[in-house]
Amino acid sequence: MKQSKHDLGSTKNEGMENVPMEERRQFLKMGLAITGIFAGGTIFSAVSVIDRVFASSEEFTAQYPYKPHYGMILFQNRCVDCERCVAACAETNHVPHEGYRTRILMKEMPDAVGLKREFIPVLCNHCNVPQCTRVCPTKATYKDPVNGIVMMDTSKCIGCLTCQEGCPYNARYFDEHRQAVDKCNFCFDTRLSKGEKLTACAAACPASCRVFGDLSDKGSDLYKAIHQLERPVWVLRPEAGTKPSVFYTKDTSAVAFK
Amino acid sequence: MANGAETAQLTLNGLESMVTTRLKSGSMGYYFLLLLCGGLVLAAAGLGIHAMVAGHDKYYNVYREVPWGILISTYVFFVVTSTGLCLVSSIGHVFGNQDFMPIAKRSVFLSIATILSGFFVIAFEIKIPWRMAIYNVISPNLTSNIWWMGTLYGVYLAFMFAEYVFLLLDRHKPAVFCGFSGSVAGIAAHSNLGAVFGLLMGREFWHGPYMPIYFIASAMMTGCSVIILFHFLGYRINKEEMPVAMKKALRVTAKLGVLLICVILFFTTWKMISGLAGRPAGKYEAVMALLSGPYAVNFWVFELGLGMLFPLVMFIRSKGENLKMMFSGALAMIVGIFVMRYDLVVVGQIVPVYHELGVNEYKHLLSYAPSLYETVITLGGFGLTAFLFLLGEKLFAGHKVEENH
Amino acid sequence: MNKHCATIAICLAIAMPAVAAENHGGDVVYTKPVKSVLFSHKLHVEEKGLSCDMCHARTFDMQALKAQENADFTMKSLVEGKYCGACHNGTMAFASNTRCAACHTGVKGGGPPRGGKH
Ligand code: HEC
Ligand code: HEC
Ligand code: HEC
Repeated sequence: MKQSKHDLGSTKNEGMENVPMEERRQFLKMGLAITGIFAGGTIFSAVSVIDRVFASSEEFTAQYPYKPHYGMILFQNRCVDCERCVAACAETNHVPHEGYRTRILMKEMPDAVGLKREFIPVLCNHCNVPQCTRVCPTKATYKDPVNGIVMMDTSKCIGCLTCQEGCPYNARYFDEHRQAVDKCNFCFDTRLSKGEKLTACAAACPASCRVFGDLSDKGSDLYKAIHQLERPVWVLRPEAGTKPSVFYTKDTSAVAFK
Repeated sequence: MANGAETAQLTLNGLESMVTTRLKSGSMGYYFLLLLCGGLVLAAAGLGIHAMVAGHDKYYNVYREVPWGILISTYVFFVVTSTGLCLVSSIGHVFGNQDFMPIAKRSVFLSIATILSGFFVIAFEIKIPWRMAIYNVISPNLTSNIWWMGTLYGVYLAFMFAEYVFLLLDRHKPAVFCGFSGSVAGIAAHSNLGAVFGLLMGREFWHGPYMPIYFIASAMMTGCSVIILFHFLGYRINKEEMPVAMKKALRVTAKLGVLLICVILFFTTWKMISGLAGRPAGKYEAVMALLSGPYAVNFWVFELGLGMLFPLVMFIRSKGENLKMMFSGALAMIVGIFVMRYDLVVVGQIVPVYHELGVNEYKHLLSYAPSLYETVITLGGFGLTAFLFLLGEKLFAGHKVEENH
Repeated sequence: MNKHCATIAICLAIAMPAVAAENHGGDVVYTKPVKSVLFSHKLHVEEKGLSCDMCHARTFDMQALKAQENADFTMKSLVEGKYCGACHNGTMAFASNTRCAACHTGVKGGGPPRGGKH
């Protein structure tokens, strides 16, 4: 019966503290947050979130350019790659099986201390300086003047795919059924315009990983999750200079399940 | 003017008989080649249309992460060539450098032929080309380099066409005007093509102000080799001895070619070094793919060897006299430049945009190889240039330029 | 039933300690309510040295995917100390509501870029 000599009491609880978090702490001590990405052991960009995402602190406190200014923050540590978001997105927006508007990337670090795997959901970042809309020859893709969503006007798309080259987030693909480039539009046509408050992916997420909302609404969960100094908030590929409306973070507190 | 009046007096019947006699003067080999090239064009058009109807995704090897393949690079190759032909030839008849005068007509004709080939290829790459015809006009995006490039190349083609007609009619003044305007449109269009790549943030291999300048320089380099190649072939086809003025023109063209090869060598050297120094993320991986990775043969053998060093040696050793040497140099250079364009387009995309994230999906470089359809359409582009060239040689009787203007 | 299994397990464990490792239940991949939760016997038994009865006495049956038939096989239950949460409670092993990606291994396991032809 006493076959196992293993002392369970000594089993360490390593909690959330994996390497990137520790490194982040270091930076946080200096009053900075990580806006870069953790790449194979080195953090290549550490700048104050506020300065990085908006040109200056003044701009940060000033109004967001759109009303509502739709955006999303992803709690990266909560994603379990169950892909309910991917399925819900495909069903809601008639995404063909060859394509996707959102997907989950997997990062594995076999040598990491503690957790060795993490999932990174990606989607269109609805950039505030979008490159795709700049390069489109026919304005088939454009930034909606009201809500800041990067939209597609499929009837104008000539299929040159320059927007795909321009997108630093691989958020676009050519949809043979629509005969146009397709991309995430925060479910504007399928949900938001019909009175729904959430995108299909955010609504389907069982782990409250995706928080969707209005960046310009100071009372929203989204606003609060981004405008704080306790947790680092970052964007993907800040060096591309596109100033995304999609943010990433990790929370250290335990997730509450209902 | 007397000449112009003469042309005006030509009757339709006269024209017809002139054209038929000229066309009938070809050898068996000539007709065989003509037929072969025509066949290639038809095959390419057939496959291209089939892909368009049945879905590009099934027949082309481009995919989400690498949306641009050999058809784009072939398009770039053809418009580079066309711009180069236009620029080099305009040194003579637009800017009045007598030495370049004799090559004007054939070069202008070829610049039309090559840009048409470029359009032919891109028509099968763009997914819905007819929408372009409508929305480029009614919904232009002035911040888009693609829009400017397309529009300016349209203008360019019109000017080159007009220029050639005026050259045929021997109306020098309007020809010069059109040549000049065509060159300006060509430079603007071509630098915009460079900017299509160069202004993309987040595509590190392409990004930088260097691209538009590089495109113009490499266009001129290509122009020199194509001029030498086709003039050599033109005289072969017509079985004529090359006049002294023409030989001299090719000699200066080769000299210009040497200069431009050096310029591009210089550009290439610094492009590579800037991709290595400090290991800039995204760019370093791409440069290494060229130097010692899957594209090393393309780079060392084709781009550097065939594209630059071999022609450099050939052009210098020929002393501008040995036409065969110059021809072989030019031929090698064209092959090399084709690969250069292919690498430019493909290597710019093989580093995935999320590479730095370190995720499993994008740890490795992406790969691309042209499909059968893409290959045939590419060959069809070359077929079209060759077809038009062959036809032009007979139709316009060797593009002769009268001396002393 | 539970007791029965536990007895077999104990017998196996005592009788042939060397073979026991190979006779454990292998990998169990849950698909409900969400896809791709991995339980590894190899990890728990061979690497962490846990004995069969620690789980098979009360918490789990020796039948793969039986637990997921229960409506309460959810994170809420785990956090409350049921199922895996009996040990994954922050004291014995890392808590169930942390390190999500340790148990959840992902639907696709990371392949080549989708849509890519290679
Ligand atoms: C840390 C907990 C744990 C320990 C220790 C453990 N098991 Fe299991 N075992 C499980 C779980 C969980 C299942 C799946 C039950 C379910 O899905 O309902 C399982 C299932 C099994 C099954 C059924 C597998 C199948 O494919 O149907 C066998 C057999 C089994 N265990 C044998 C053993 C033996 C033998 C040992 C001791 C060497 C052992 N287990 C130790 C947790 C454990
Ligand atoms: C008998 C107690 C016990 C039960 C029940 C149990 N585990 Fe564990 N598990 C452990 C211990 C002890 C460890 C090692 C401690 C640590 O690494 O924190 C562990 C480690 C793990 C790890 C390894 C994490 C890593 O990468 O190091 C995974 C994954 C895991 N358990 C999954 C599960 C799942 C899923 C279940 C339920 C089906 C489960 N466990 C049930 C005791 C248990
Ligand atoms: C100790 C292992 C373990 C850990 C750690 C864990 N889970 Fe789970 N999770 C499970 C198991 C077992 C199930 C039930 C089986 C299934 O759904 O496949 C489950 C189910 C779920 C479900 C679907 C059921 C429900 O409760 O809605 C969600 C969502 C989920 N987990 C999210 C998370 C998140 C978020 C975290 C991190 C905060 C997490 N899990 C950490 C083991 C774990």
